Amino acid sequence: MEVGQMQRRLVDYTKSLFMEGFLDAQFLQLQQLQDESNPDFVVEVVSLFFDDSEKLLNDLTMALDQPNVDFKKVDAHVHQLKGSSSSIGAQRVKNACIAFRSFCEEQNIDATLRCLQQVKQEYYLVKNKLETMLRVKQQIVAAGGSIPMIELGF
Amino acid sequence: MELMKSENIVQDRQPQPQEEEEIMQQEEEEEQRFHVLAVDDSVIDRKLLEKLLKASSYQVTCVESGEKALEYLGLLHHSSPASSSSSQHHHQGHKVNLIMTDFSMPGTSGYDLLKRIKGSSWKDVPVVVMSSENVPSRISMCLEGGAEEFMLKPLQLSDLHKIQAHLLKSLPHS
Repeated sequence: MEVGQMQRRLVDYTKSLFMEGFLDAQFLQLQQLQDESNPDFVVEVVSLFFDDSEKLLNDLTMALDQPNVDFKKVDAHVHQLKGSSSSIGAQRVKNACIAFRSFCEEQNIDATLRCLQQVKQEYYLVKNKLETMLRVKQQIVAAGGSIPMIELGF
Repeated sequence: MELMKSENIVQDRQPQPQEEEEIMQQEEEEEQRFHVLAVDDSVIDRKLLEKLLKASSYQVTCVESGEKALEYLGLLHHSSPASSSSSQHHHQGHKVNLIMTDFSMPGTSGYDLLKRIKGSSWKDVPVVVMSSENVPSRISMCLEGGAEEFMLKPLQLSDLHKIQAHLLKSLPHS
């Protein structure tokens, strides 16, 4: 695939991520912060998000697997995940966390287990999409092309 | 022979006049930039904040907890003798123009940190509290506690101009 085609594919793909609500404007902020002095900034932040989230999801799974669930602890983990997903613009993960927290407040074990599944699903979806997007970017750069600026008009 | 030896030693110890000037220039330039102490338990938020601040040409020190912030400011009383003397000397030699802290942190919260700072010799340093939650009672509590500003996370590049206003306020009046 030649560079022009890859660049168009990247633009369309990125736009779809915004349209489908996987990413919000905060992700654009991240891209704006990247510059020549720190050309891997977005990759670094996204990698941190992946590591942090996977740890939190493990902690959540364990916490909800206890005979006596400590909902305060569960809520604290969800709060953290909500914060980090919000900071990188992973909108659907963030929204899943908001719903999760309201069930933690109710101390509803069945609902929170369902929420955990929902959050995991959203996380793996956005992870997959971000990895795809970053891979295409890498391919463009490796082929000597530049990364097109995404104009989204919002 | 002994005389020659001691002459060499003396020459090696003294930096050349040009080098001294360069070092002084570097230190002056550092002195002129605002130094922000950023406190947040989230590694992602620390990275973001550091980038936001550096993009605005501020010098940044990031710490991961309220306790580490107190330690940096020399306000932790129970540090070991060896480290406290060197850290006090080091950190009090460094100015801090602004402190930005997350509200919800385990252990010493952002609010606890705010109160400790306002009750110390650092009380004139502006403190900005950040939170991902828009809770009016929390906001007024922080402002009443002496915070200059309460900011909602995630912070944007456009929020930095508010910070600049507070930093300019902290400059000594001529």
